[in-house]
Amino acid sequence: MDGLITFFASHYALRAETVLKRGGLPAKLIAGPRDLSPNCGVALRFEYAQREHALALLDAQRVRIDGVHHFLPRTDGWRNAEAPEWRR
Amino acid sequence: MGTIYFDNAATSWPKPPEVLSAMADCLAEAGGNPGRSGHRLSIAAARLVEEARELLAGLFNAGDPSRIVFTHNATHALNLALYGLLRPGDHAVTTSVEHNSVMRPLRHLETQGVELTVVACRADGTLPLDEVRRALRPRTRLLATTHASNVLGTVMPIGELAAAAHAAGALYLVDASQTVGALPIDVELAGVDLLAFTGHKALLGPTGTGGLFIRPGLDVAPLLRGGTGSDSDRELQPGFHPDVHESGTLNVAGIAGLAAGVRFLREVGIDSVAAHERRLVAAFRQQAGNIPGLTVYGPDEATNRCGVVSFNLAGVSSSEVAQMLDDSFGILARAGLHCAPSAHRTAGTFPAGTVRFAFGWFNTEGEIDAAAAALAELASWAARKVAWTV
Repeated sequence: MDGLITFFASHYALRAETVLKRGGLPAKLIAGPRDLSPNCGVALRFEYAQREHALALLDAQRVRIDGVHHFLPRTDGWRNAEAPEWRR
Repeated sequence: MGTIYFDNAATSWPKPPEVLSAMADCLAEAGGNPGRSGHRLSIAAARLVEEARELLAGLFNAGDPSRIVFTHNATHALNLALYGLLRPGDHAVTTSVEHNSVMRPLRHLETQGVELTVVACRADGTLPLDEVRRALRPRTRLLATTHASNVLGTVMPIGELAAAAHAAGALYLVDASQTVGALPIDVELAGVDLLAFTGHKALLGPTGTGGLFIRPGLDVAPLLRGGTGSDSDRELQPGFHPDVHESGTLNVAGIAGLAAGVRFLREVGIDSVAAHERRLVAAFRQQAGNIPGLTVYGPDEATNRCGVVSFNLAGVSSSEVAQMLDDSFGILARAGLHCAPSAHRTAGTFPAGTVRFAFGWFNTEGEIDAAAAALAELASWAARKVAWTV
């Protein structure tokens, strides 16, 4: 899963997970990356290619989001294939 | 001697076994702090809280679950609503049958420059709607009423009260402590702006749980400020729901128990609970009518009542009756003023108070029969006692 949605509050992250899963989209809660959001709780990983569908589902359920992020392959030196998937 | 528990308006008992196991499971398996960390135990705890929020939103048709904020109890929720909305110079309207959880904050706000009108109810607790409409003025910010009197059991017409408040440009706050879980409530249909509820009465959850529904688009100033797990780079309280009103760690195990209570009620059906309590009240009133010296307060109409009935036995104080019911019959009731002096003044039972029976889902008609027999015995003793002392 190469997409990440950040939220203002964990309440929305939890609801978003439910909404996406009910909509048949893969989703997983992770600790919110500190560099992306000041929310100390969780963020939601999802398939970035499905973002339009995902965002429409969240909007329909009035789930407020902070931002949508895409993990891109890096070309600089420190990234390596042994790193966790989302850091690649 | 068994135990017959008729004090469900104070707190419900027993709780469904699911409530106890949900709380134990929460402490054993979801031990993190919701919304703070990102590890699995924190997520598990947050999941329990959000499931509960969704269940409650569904229960009274609140739509967006983020508009339900958890509090420690209904008193906390009512204080949040009243102090969060009313400012010096505002006018507020309430009724004469309010519990002190509404009356005391309002009386305190009155000393801070809020003007208060208390509309007098009739002796049976019913509220004259015309008087409410007359009390509402252009400067009225809030109409606050109970959904049902905790002394008389009288149910207020919340839809009509909401319409009256809105027609005057005011907001409508409902104290649903006695009704959430016992009567069907639809905040959308009724047009309620704010609804305070407790988790430990008819919702069958544990003490230390409650909450406030705040209509979307309505901003209420927070009562408490502090850590929320969100906006942690800022020293100012976040403005978004539910975090704005949920500073500090929530009672997660309690909320897990509350969710189990709501699930139990969803299975049973709130309509079934309401019908059951109506049957018990009707059975009690019918039998009480045959007991000499017993006076039952509150409205005659069964449709206008929740599962609360107040009464007195001639010649015996309410506390003495309650003590004898407990000692000799195992019947647990609450005597006195029920934290609602104004309601007792309204009923004409101040300062002596009344004995209150408050029925719940787990009570039976057999228990009503046993209570009526016990009261008949006490009444005959009281009649002899009165004759002897006079």
